[in-house]
Amino acid sequence: MYQWKKTLAGGALATLAMLALASGTALAKTQVTFFYPVQVGGPLTKVIDGYVAKFEAANPDIKVVPVYSGNYLDTTTKALTAAKSGTPPTVAVLLATDIFTLIDEDAVQPIDDFVKTADDKAWLAGFMPAYVASAKVDGHVWAVPFQRSTAVLYWNKKAFAEAGLDPKKYPKTWDEMVAYGKAVTKKDASGRVVRWGVGIPGNVGSAQWLFGALAAQNGVRLMNDAGNQTNLTNPKVVEALKFWVDLNKVHGIHPPGIQEWGTTPSDFLEERIAMIWTTTGNLTNLKANAKFDFGLAPYPGKVAPASVLGGGNLYIFKKAPTAEKEAAMKFIKFLTSDEILADWSINTGYVAPRDGAWNTAALKAYAVKVPEILVARDQIPVSVPEWSTHENARTGKVLNDALAAALTGTKTPQKALADAQAEIDRILKPYR
Amino acid sequence: MSADFRSTPVIALTTVGAWLLAVLWVLPLLYGFWTAFHPAEFAARFDLSAPWTLDNFRRVWDAAPFSRYFLNTFFLVSLILVCQFVICTMAAYAFVCFPFRGSEILFMLVLVQLMIMPEVLLVENYRTLSRIGLLDTTLGIALPYLASAFGIFLFRQTFKSIPKELEEAARLEGANALQILLRVFVPVAKPTYIAYGLVTVSYHWNNFLWPLVVTNSVETRPITVGLQVFATVEQGVDWSLVTAATLLSVTPLLVAFLLFQRQFVQSFMRAGIR
Repeated sequence: MYQWKKTLAGGALATLAMLALASGTALAKTQVTFFYPVQVGGPLTKVIDGYVAKFEAANPDIKVVPVYSGNYLDTTTKALTAAKSGTPPTVAVLLATDIFTLIDEDAVQPIDDFVKTADDKAWLAGFMPAYVASAKVDGHVWAVPFQRSTAVLYWNKKAFAEAGLDPKKYPKTWDEMVAYGKAVTKKDASGRVVRWGVGIPGNVGSAQWLFGALAAQNGVRLMNDAGNQTNLTNPKVVEALKFWVDLNKVHGIHPPGIQEWGTTPSDFLEERIAMIWTTTGNLTNLKANAKFDFGLAPYPGKVAPASVLGGGNLYIFKKAPTAEKEAAMKFIKFLTSDEILADWSINTGYVAPRDGAWNTAALKAYAVKVPEILVARDQIPVSVPEWSTHENARTGKVLNDALAAALTGTKTPQKALADAQAEIDRILKPYR
Repeated sequence: MSADFRSTPVIALTTVGAWLLAVLWVLPLLYGFWTAFHPAEFAARFDLSAPWTLDNFRRVWDAAPFSRYFLNTFFLVSLILVCQFVICTMAAYAFVCFPFRGSEILFMLVLVQLMIMPEVLLVENYRTLSRIGLLDTTLGIALPYLASAFGIFLFRQTFKSIPKELEEAARLEGANALQILLRVFVPVAKPTYIAYGLVTVSYHWNNFLWPLVVTNSVETRPITVGLQVFATVEQGVDWSLVTAATLLSVTPLLVAFLLFQRQFVQSFMRAGIR
């Protein structure tokens, strides 16, 4: 049996060797393996293939192998498995929040190492500071912003008009959001709510993201920049969670329990919820399917309006051969050039993370057609990085569980957050 | 006591319970069926007058090279099934008919393997494959599964239950070891083979994590990994597309099961896997 396996393996090896011989010229090229997730629909793999073809045409000595690898979680699993067994991808798009995990696993190399010429430095300086902030740890820039998003509010103008509100006015404060929400919440004859005022997704995976926005609106950050301290027992954080819980419990304008991220857009499209909190990445989908007029607004505030950043950065893997990494850097510079970022933004709805991209003719023309994307861009300076700490998967789960407990009413906001803080203190102890 | 179990109310209760569980079990499938054949606006609304459409299937089929994925999965599952049958049969036969010093310990070691989740070995398996150059090949996906501790265990138990007289009679007739295996053991164990085959086919048809990690290209990806294109949560879930894609990928298994239902159920009864 063992012999048989060996024969098969040997056969496969021989075939591979023959293939390699047959394409001898291909071997001279530097090969860059590029793992990327697609979070916004199928045909985008073709867009990436197009960029790769364009890059290869300009750089005949480099071959890029783009590997579509599922969602972010799948891509991270795949990239880390490959990195741990010594054959990492050269470059990958992974979540900005995975930065501490990737550094702790010794998987990635700072981008600074590859920034050498004045031209490189000018390129790196061209990114929006809010996005670069989430890639900076210990004085190094570890990743390059690529498919970045931010959380925004969509409101149903038709429902606003029906409720006697000015359809052009969106809520700028928490109090306004509650007042508008009460106005648009609609009940049928039997007292059952047929349209809720507002929906903030609170399922595992999105709760920690949008809660970051709620806390920022109340003037606090959930964690520090070093990713080893969290702030969950701060009275302002507790107040933010209490506000979220009270949207249903006290004001009766939010669906009970946990609103699911995945179904939030369809709840909005079918007019079951009049205002939703979700990502800019949903704009294209909603534009295509909404049968009513809607608007995209920046988030309201308690102390001041604020939102939270999201999305993925480009990382270079440490254990890849040096020549590959140099080639990968060229590819990254190409992908994050103003033209490509503008095109990517138009195709996906992601927010181009460079001011230069917004000055391109293509994106300017698009902004005239879809002015909503400017709202997203203008909100970025008041946006905070999303939840990211060492042991991010574990601390994120603790926070998500705490939020779920509060939203479903099994714990008070205060108790839920205090328990979570104690648990996270235990997890983060080695990093302090 | 036993008479009580056959009394009418108990039978009625069992029937109702069975129906209830069956309905619960089939609900997701019915929902999938409904959503896949209707336009997106009916994804969460039940309306008998809703128009039927095949559009979702058309969009799904265009969005990913499904025919290729089916072919890949078919090859993968066939390769694993054939290898597992051959390897597990030989191993089980040896354990039953050719005991040697330490064979009991060896069998224990095989059983120990049942306790290890394949996911734990992800990184090590990946490293091995990368060393022998089998990353991103169908053989590479199959390799860790070609021998199965569960299969060996199951076949050994079945072979053990076959009366010694049959084997001895065959030997008197002049059959050699291989002939005894093929003419006596395998035919008697047929229900076990069918039952085990079904388990292994559905397991590998649905396997996701390992194929995801080792494959990089459309030429090797099985259908589960290909389906991932539609699970793009960030933009909200397009249920009509997801259900259409899911129905497409489970249909071959479902049809096979419906066609061979009677045989399958009987095999499970006889083989004792439930």
